[in-house]
Amino acid sequence: MNAPCFEDVAIGDTGPAFTTKPLTRTDFVRYAGASGDFNPMHHDETFAQKAGRPTVFGHGMYTAGVCSRAVAGWVGIENVRSFGCRFVAQVWPDDVLSVTQTVAEKDKIDAGNLVGLDIAVTNQNGEVVMTAKSQVVLPSRA
Amino acid sequence: MAIDNVTDLVGERGDSETWKVEEGKVREFAVALGFDDPRCLDLEAARAAGLDGLLAPPTFAMASTFWMRGTAPLRKAEFDRKRVLHGEQEFVCHKPLVSGMVLEGVPEIVDVRQKEGKRGGMMTFVTTEIVWREKDSGDPVVSTSSTILETAPAK
Repeated sequence: MNAPCFEDVAIGDTGPAFTTKPLTRTDFVRYAGASGDFNPMHHDETFAQKAGRPTVFGHGMYTAGVCSRAVAGWVGIENVRSFGCRFVAQVWPDDVLSVTQTVAEKDKIDAGNLVGLDIAVTNQNGEVVMTAKSQVVLPSRA
Repeated sequence: MAIDNVTDLVGERGDSETWKVEEGKVREFAVALGFDDPRCLDLEAARAAGLDGLLAPPTFAMASTFWMRGTAPLRKAEFDRKRVLHGEQEFVCHKPLVSGMVLEGVPEIVDVRQKEGKRGGMMTFVTTEIVWREKDSGDPVVSTSSTILETAPAK
């Protein structure tokens, strides 16, 4: 992985553009199997409609996992020290998610090369579906 | 909430859980989320990178929760399942989580809050934490904190 160097990032910098393909019900079902979360709201159309939803919607943790892939794609999994997220709105089949990560803090905490990221996940209509914060450690310039 | 004083739930603990981090599960989880990092998918690549097993994505510890066999302390909250939402989730990574690890953790309710909902009625937030430690060394690997909320009853 080619993580950016600590010296090369500044507060306000943003990570590389990250956009998903349109999400499918199969994506949600695959995540259900991988995570073990078989809440029927995420795969059973009949159940979801009886509960008053237009269709099934994605697991919050599916969105969180995709978002973590954006962070890991920028800085490397091994450099992620924390990842915390807040679920704001539902994610539906055919939604296209974009992840924006912004450097919000640099070395405020007394630990080496720690950088805080503020992250927003938005859908194709520009609505925020999830916000997140992540602490990452970046390598020093050699 | 069926119980009188919800803050009494703070400190409520579940059974100790043992979690063997399986290689196939790490790969399946990584694939489900579209990770293409070879260290998550290919044992040779992981070993070449100095790891003892496949590297788990940052949110992988979620895949432990749904397979737990013990009593979850959250059950004591007696939430109405129709009004339950996942509000927040946090992971703190102490060292790389890799397949082959055997971890132990005890779920514990660490925070309970209530606030007035936008349309009246009380919303209840319950935060459950698990510190997963390596069984042999006792070293912490990943801590998870999950906040579940029960929305106010419909009027």
